[in-house]
Amino acid sequence: MSTITKVFDWVNHRLPIQNTYERHLSKHPVPKKVNFWYLFGALAAVVLVIQIVSGIWLIMLYTPGEAAFASIEYMMRDVDYGWVIRYMHTTGASMFFAVVYLHMFRGLLYGSYQKPRELVWIFGCTIYLAMMAEGFLGYVLPYGQMSYWGAQVIISLFGALPYIGESLELWIRGDYYISGITVNRFFALHVVALPLVLIALVFLHLVALHEVGAGNPEGVDIEAHTDQDGVPLDSVPFFPYKVLNALVGIGVFMTVFAIIMFFFPEGGGYFIEYANYEEANPLVTPDHIAPVWYYSPYYSILRAVPDKLGGFAAMGAAVAVFFVVPWLDRSNVASIRYKGILSKIALVMFGISFITLGYLGTVSVTEHRKTMSIICTVIYFSYFLLMPIYTSIEKTKPVPDRL
Amino acid sequence: MNLIAKRFINFYHLSLIFFVLFCIFFIQNTFSAEGAPCKDYGECDEFKHTLTDMSSLQRGASTYLTYCYGCHSLEYSRWNRVASDLEIPEEIFFNNLVFDASVKPGDLMAGSMSKTESAEWFGVAPPDLTLVTRLHGSDWVYTYLRTFYEDSSKQYGVNNLVYPGAAMPNVLASLQGNQQLICKQIPVIAKNGGEKRDDFGNTITKEKCGFLSVESGTGILNKDEFDKLIYDLTNFLTYVGDPDKVERERIGWYVVFFFIIFTSLASLLYREYQKDYH
Repeated sequence: MSTITKVFDWVNHRLPIQNTYERHLSKHPVPKKVNFWYLFGALAAVVLVIQIVSGIWLIMLYTPGEAAFASIEYMMRDVDYGWVIRYMHTTGASMFFAVVYLHMFRGLLYGSYQKPRELVWIFGCTIYLAMMAEGFLGYVLPYGQMSYWGAQVIISLFGALPYIGESLELWIRGDYYISGITVNRFFALHVVALPLVLIALVFLHLVALHEVGAGNPEGVDIEAHTDQDGVPLDSVPFFPYKVLNALVGIGVFMTVFAIIMFFFPEGGGYFIEYANYEEANPLVTPDHIAPVWYYSPYYSILRAVPDKLGGFAAMGAAVAVFFVVPWLDRSNVASIRYKGILSKIALVMFGISFITLGYLGTVSVTEHRKTMSIICTVIYFSYFLLMPIYTSIEKTKPVPDRL
Repeated sequence: MNLIAKRFINFYHLSLIFFVLFCIFFIQNTFSAEGAPCKDYGECDEFKHTLTDMSSLQRGASTYLTYCYGCHSLEYSRWNRVASDLEIPEEIFFNNLVFDASVKPGDLMAGSMSKTESAEWFGVAPPDLTLVTRLHGSDWVYTYLRTFYEDSSKQYGVNNLVYPGAAMPNVLASLQGNQQLICKQIPVIAKNGGEKRDDFGNTITKEKCGFLSVESGTGILNKDEFDKLIYDLTNFLTYVGDPDKVERERIGWYVVFFFIIFTSLASLLYREYQKDYH
């Protein structure tokens, strides 16, 4: 036995390397036929790594507190290739949400939340919730005008809560108005607290996924047909086959990522808002306060409800409703391919309303736009709340036995 | 119902359409962003930067340091960085463009006026302009600097079309001359798109106001020369706002090229492995 083998054996007897490798990689069965929609999970993992690594380097260069704005310009100008790190992080933030939205849409499309994958879905929804908090906290850190006034809008929502509102607001800010103190605590939460939560949730999301196995666009249960060793016939080992598949997706994704990062880092004012190139000024309110694009659908829902507390509740409900989707879908099939016409119409309407709400959240309000956002909010919620009805009355197509 | 569903609502197509819509949303959002419109001027004049034109940037820097820097700092930018990026030898730069002997090459261009005092003098401290082109866009800056007009009701005798009520004098008035808002007789357009004429064949006109016009002979520069000066100045401010843009895009090509090669190799490898189970 060579020395390397000896060392490996020594470790392997004390740490389950071989077992883990086989269980989660070389012998982990995944459906052999899936489509591009199944790549976004892997891409989200890639972006998470990009965010963590670029984030660590940003911490080395960033100064929290009132000096934050100047420290961003310092890293963008005086630090060699500081802009690489910062643009990687800002592009990563937008790309994270882009792939996660597509990943979630895949879930709705192919019923990935259905039994036995309910917990995978719930962990996923919790990740999304944590990401929204993480993104918001991160957005305040550059301490530009939009950081300041965006934070003002969001924190003041907590003030709308009855009884505890005002003191809660004060507790979150740590000051009577948003200041360097607020930035300090948001920094702590953004770089330590929420990343820990996120990593733990991602771990749980993957553990739960590997327990029940990945789904497929047909909604076929591949475990139903296995060979004599219990390996599903329609599966291939995760490594190397699916890893190589993902690698192609990652290549395409990174090309897009690089194009944005090096040529359009501001994303036309949607990835980095132009108003954020001005330092936070508590005395001057910008003409038009718009959230970054990935929150804009929820901002539209918030604005669609005339009452502040009601708007806050609607916004919360719009995110919370994702958690109960596994129990709203009463269909006997998983994939949209075999669902009835009602589900198809509902999903398309939902998609359109989500995008429209997203657009409306980035522009200023007019009467017409307000009506539009109310209509879209109603469609958004109808998709979920009517789901038990339309999924149970529609006629579904028979699902094939094999993939 | 089912037949229609089969024919027209093949879900794969629908999901593709959805994906395309998603992309359109992005493109639309990305490129039709609500930029700062030029207020009373309407659409801003288009500005195309030439960040590799060193002589333009050098002229812009010279104009800035002569006319603007007295009030407007560039506090995130450093003297020697500007000198080396603009390929101006430090000795020439510091002897001719830096008017403060106490400045060291590595200092930030922090301005020469105290912020608190200038806020008292002007009502509001003149803003730092390092990031002005990123905040408002280069088009806006290029248009703003050319749309001052005489308005005796204002504190400094001038107003601005792009930024009505701007609290600054037109520092470049001696170069541009006295610009005023005038009214003009313009032809009335008939429904068919042609000019409306009366019975004698004369064009019918109406008065329209709000045109900018420079009183001839009052400025040192003519219109083209002045526009050129503002072009160079805006070009310089575009550079100051994003000093690494040229370098970033140069590196960007290599990175994109790398990922294209990476993707091709990965897909070739994937195709080989796919043969195992197809």
